Amino acid sequence: MANNDKVDAVIVGAGASGSVFAAVLAKAGKKVVLLEAGPDWQLDDLISSDIWGRRIKPAGSPFLLEGKNPYGYVYQAGWGTGGAALHYFANFPRLLPNDFKVKSTYGKGLDWPIDYADIAPYWDKVADDVGVSGDAKAEEIWRPAGKPYPMPPMRTFPGGDAWKKGFDALGMRLTPAAVGINSTKFKGRPACIYDGWCHVGCPIGALSNPLVTYLAEARQAGAEVRPYATVTRVLTSADGAKATAVEYYDANKQKQVQEASVVVLAAWSAQNPRLMLNSATDKHPNGLANSSGLVGKYLTAHFASGTSALFDEDLQPYMGTIAAQYFSYDLYDKNAHKDNGAFGSTFMVAGTAQRYSALGGVANARLDLFGAELAAFMKRAARGYTRLNAFAEEMPVIDNRIELATDKDEFGMPLGKIIHSFNDEAVALFNANFDRGLQIAKATGAKEAWPNKGPMPTIHLMGGTIMGKTAGDAVTNSFGQTHEIANLWIAGPGIFPTSGAPNPTYTILALSLRGAEQLAKNWGSVAD
Amino acid sequence: MGETLVPGAKDAGVTYFVDQQISIPPQEALLEARIMNVKPPFANFYRAALGAIDGASSARYGGRNFAQLAANEQHEFVDLMRQNKLDGWKGAAASFVYFLLRSDAVDVVYGTMDGYAHLGVPYQPHIAPTRSW
Repeated sequence: MANNDKVDAVIVGAGASGSVFAAVLAKAGKKVVLLEAGPDWQLDDLISSDIWGRRIKPAGSPFLLEGKNPYGYVYQAGWGTGGAALHYFANFPRLLPNDFKVKSTYGKGLDWPIDYADIAPYWDKVADDVGVSGDAKAEEIWRPAGKPYPMPPMRTFPGGDAWKKGFDALGMRLTPAAVGINSTKFKGRPACIYDGWCHVGCPIGALSNPLVTYLAEARQAGAEVRPYATVTRVLTSADGAKATAVEYYDANKQKQVQEASVVVLAAWSAQNPRLMLNSATDKHPNGLANSSGLVGKYLTAHFASGTSALFDEDLQPYMGTIAAQYFSYDLYDKNAHKDNGAFGSTFMVAGTAQRYSALGGVANARLDLFGAELAAFMKRAARGYTRLNAFAEEMPVIDNRIELATDKDEFGMPLGKIIHSFNDEAVALFNANFDRGLQIAKATGAKEAWPNKGPMPTIHLMGGTIMGKTAGDAVTNSFGQTHEIANLWIAGPGIFPTSGAPNPTYTILALSLRGAEQLAKNWGSVAD
Repeated sequence: MGETLVPGAKDAGVTYFVDQQISIPPQEALLEARIMNVKPPFANFYRAALGAIDGASSARYGGRNFAQLAANEQHEFVDLMRQNKLDGWKGAAASFVYFLLRSDAVDVVYGTMDGYAHLGVPYQPHIAPTRSW
């Protein structure tokens, strides 16, 4: 076992949230080390191919998956520098004010300890940092005013414009989507060329993945990235009051210890609780920062109801970005589908660029077809297919959780077990959004429209280390600092008490920036 | 099976694709099985799938495995498989096996630069793959 010189901050995970913490702390003059379990990806590794694109995702399941709706995570999880944000879609919607006091307002779910106004300045800051294209003024039909985005909206294409016609016909509103992609040149990064390969990694840097934003800034400020470094435990002082180091296995599978004044866990939402539970000591018998028993609890996932439409016209569906051309919060009221027994917000995106293979590809829009019928469909869909997606919110329940399993990985660390089931209100929301999607699709004038109904998907993973006011009802405060160990911080969507319905990365970046600035500002009272 | 699922899969090399991909370390594999949370090594999934298919085929068609069926029987079998309606099926759900094997066939037929050309749509790569897989 090797001990490394003590650093100011060790950050576990070089994805979206870890990169923000690294950039802020390194620029504040701190010595920062990022430990990343996967490779150190470079932009020229990002091959435009759905087949080759699978390289940048985790390999199979080190997590055991249980429950009525097992959480299928590999599609959206990260592996290597950039994390999941290396292949994310870069939709940049924000939460809305009705997301922050769900329990107080509706008697369901949980409350956040902060409000929309606490995060709003950080959404604006992130937009200026990484580059967001959109029409902020247009969005203000749904949300409080904020700063304009630094770039105008992206181009639209017939595959997106078709949905605008459907929304208009029903009196529903659809505005240009806010995306973390350059509609114009931004900070030396080029404008997007709309070739639709965002989801396998954008090698030109038009899409704001961490390699060209916060992680690049962190490196420039002196942060060190150690790839293939698998963290297994956080070590604590004898009295249990402080985190002192992390234990990890390096690229040669040799055990190492990295001492640090501050430990930031910025792995994904299931891995952070796995590490905390695996770091139990006599002073923390149930795992670190877990006197509440809530480490690993209140996992939430999004789910999406997709609606397909097929036109005879050439929609150029291969053009655009994997992010949306348009979005809508018109069904964001938690009770929008109350009559169907549903509860939770819905966020709709329209007009993503289509790929033809892989999980989200056109071929899977008709999973019932195979053989000659599939071939005929693919020919028709090649230029005439488009899709609407309605993302929706699952309420947090304590039984959706991460636990340690008895089986162990190659480093002797217990595997994580993710237990997840959707409740009846979520299932009702899933079904209601298909009905609404079909109504909209028919209003577009499409020749054919159908719901992409299949097993209820699990999209994005949030919760597991939720924020709250006290150590009795939460794991961290609103900055991600654990209530019980002042120099142990958690970054990422694991600290979301509720999920809202929008894609989470914009909020992950904003909360991470807020947390990292708080840490830097109060370093003297936090660091050990 | 690949050709029954997606016409052109045999000539596009679906067998070689899967065979090669299960022979390399799982963290290098480019299979949809990786994305669908199948636990490595991925060869275990395919071995079990082949056994389940031939077992269910034999049970339904008088001892004949899938490769020995007539084209219309193969079509009927796959249609039942995707709906989880095969008696005597063993292992992972038949619909899930259908999904992954179909995805492999779709990969080699439609997920390549040749596949896009066949569909008549531009591939437009930033960085073109130097080989299909």
